[in-house]
Amino acid sequence: MPFLARVLTTWALCALMTATGVQAAEVSPKITIGTQEVGLTAGYLLPHRLTTDHTTKQQGPAIMPSWMMTITDPVGDSWYRGQVSVGAEMVYIQFQEPFLTHGVGFTPKIKYSFVALDRIRPYAEFAGGPFWTDLAGKIPEESSRFNFVLTAGFGISYFLTDQTAFNVGYRFHHISNAGTHYPNLGLNASLPFGGFSFFF
Amino acid sequence: MIGQTFSRPLIGGALIMALGLGTGCASHWIDLAEQKDAPTPLQTSVPSDLRVPLLIETIQTTQNGVALATPIAVEHQILGAFEATKLFSQHFQSGYAQPATNQPHVTIRLTMNNSVEPHAGGAAWSGFIIGASMFLLAPIVTLDYDYGTQMALEVERWDGQTKQYQASSSGTAHYHLFAASQHLIDELKGQVTETCLTQILDQVIRDTPFYIAGEIAPSETTIRTVSVGSKRSKTPAHPVSTSLEPATR
Repeated sequence: MPFLARVLTTWALCALMTATGVQAAEVSPKITIGTQEVGLTAGYLLPHRLTTDHTTKQQGPAIMPSWMMTITDPVGDSWYRGQVSVGAEMVYIQFQEPFLTHGVGFTPKIKYSFVALDRIRPYAEFAGGPFWTDLAGKIPEESSRFNFVLTAGFGISYFLTDQTAFNVGYRFHHISNAGTHYPNLGLNASLPFGGFSFFF
Repeated sequence: MIGQTFSRPLIGGALIMALGLGTGCASHWIDLAEQKDAPTPLQTSVPSDLRVPLLIETIQTTQNGVALATPIAVEHQILGAFEATKLFSQHFQSGYAQPATNQPHVTIRLTMNNSVEPHAGGAAWSGFIIGASMFLLAPIVTLDYDYGTQMALEVERWDGQTKQYQASSSGTAHYHLFAASQHLIDELKGQVTETCLTQILDQVIRDTPFYIAGEIAPSETTIRTVSVGSKRSKTPAHPVSTSLEPATR
């Protein structure tokens, strides 16, 4: 974890340093159909035990590199004016509790970004896909290593330059195996996150 | 042996998928709406001593009813289209060099009403479906973007006489997810604009006698020759003899 934290901190500082020379008034991102976005986001998974049968306090850092493509011009002419992007994301979670285990997943993703505020762009996102973890079998909630992960959340992108944005947000995170093995209570968690995106 | 039996379809499938991802995902095409009774593109041949300068006074643009600044690239496209008609001796644009005040010239005012329909709702659903299929449907599901333009051209001659022309054109860009790009949209807009410009300039060319300088001098009521012919015609243009009447009609 200290190594991961050092890497992320260094990367974040480098991204901030590249943006320091830009005047605030100059930033006006031009995101159109076909604009691509690559991003790196990191967060920390915090457990939610939604029923009395849920006993595991799974938690740990998560890192999520992503790629997206904008598929619409801005639509609407009010506060909800925004654009739709689709893409995919890798997710790696290092579960530190209750055991040191790992999880890796791949999730197609769809995002709606509100563009009315120009350089400050709130967004809502939804993603889901296959997820492998060796935590399963060691906890009462999950029995199979092959699972699915579903996430839904919101965030804010603050454009440091026309092409670089700093993102913070929150996701609700659910892991289960879609009934392919039992028990399948599912693991639920909150995932506050932060990261950077580069648009081109 | 069993491994080979299974590996061949596997390799074949992988190759087909790679081919699909490499070609189908990144493909796009543009459909331009056919214009009924569209005039045949024309070209004109006016002797250079009969040509007068052209002044593009205003180019007003709206998009979905909202006024916009006309992009420089579109201004250049319009200027180039008028230059290509070879109807005028010089081409001026308001805000830059102007023809001399006492020099007879033709002034034009162009209005472009553009309409854009990005099918955002359809694109969002298509994106959702493509994502849900883990991008396997990316080479199959197409996204659409419609663009249309209506042009109204007002032409004012040196003596105050005016003529009005109108034309419209539209088209749709169809593309797969990985072919989405601003270049594709720009290409669609450029083609639609070019088609519309061609239509409106064909109408202008048909009125060639209205724009030639022979109209200026009342004494020059000689026979002038103006050639108007089809660009696509394989036969040479037929000369049309026009008796020029004084501009003081």
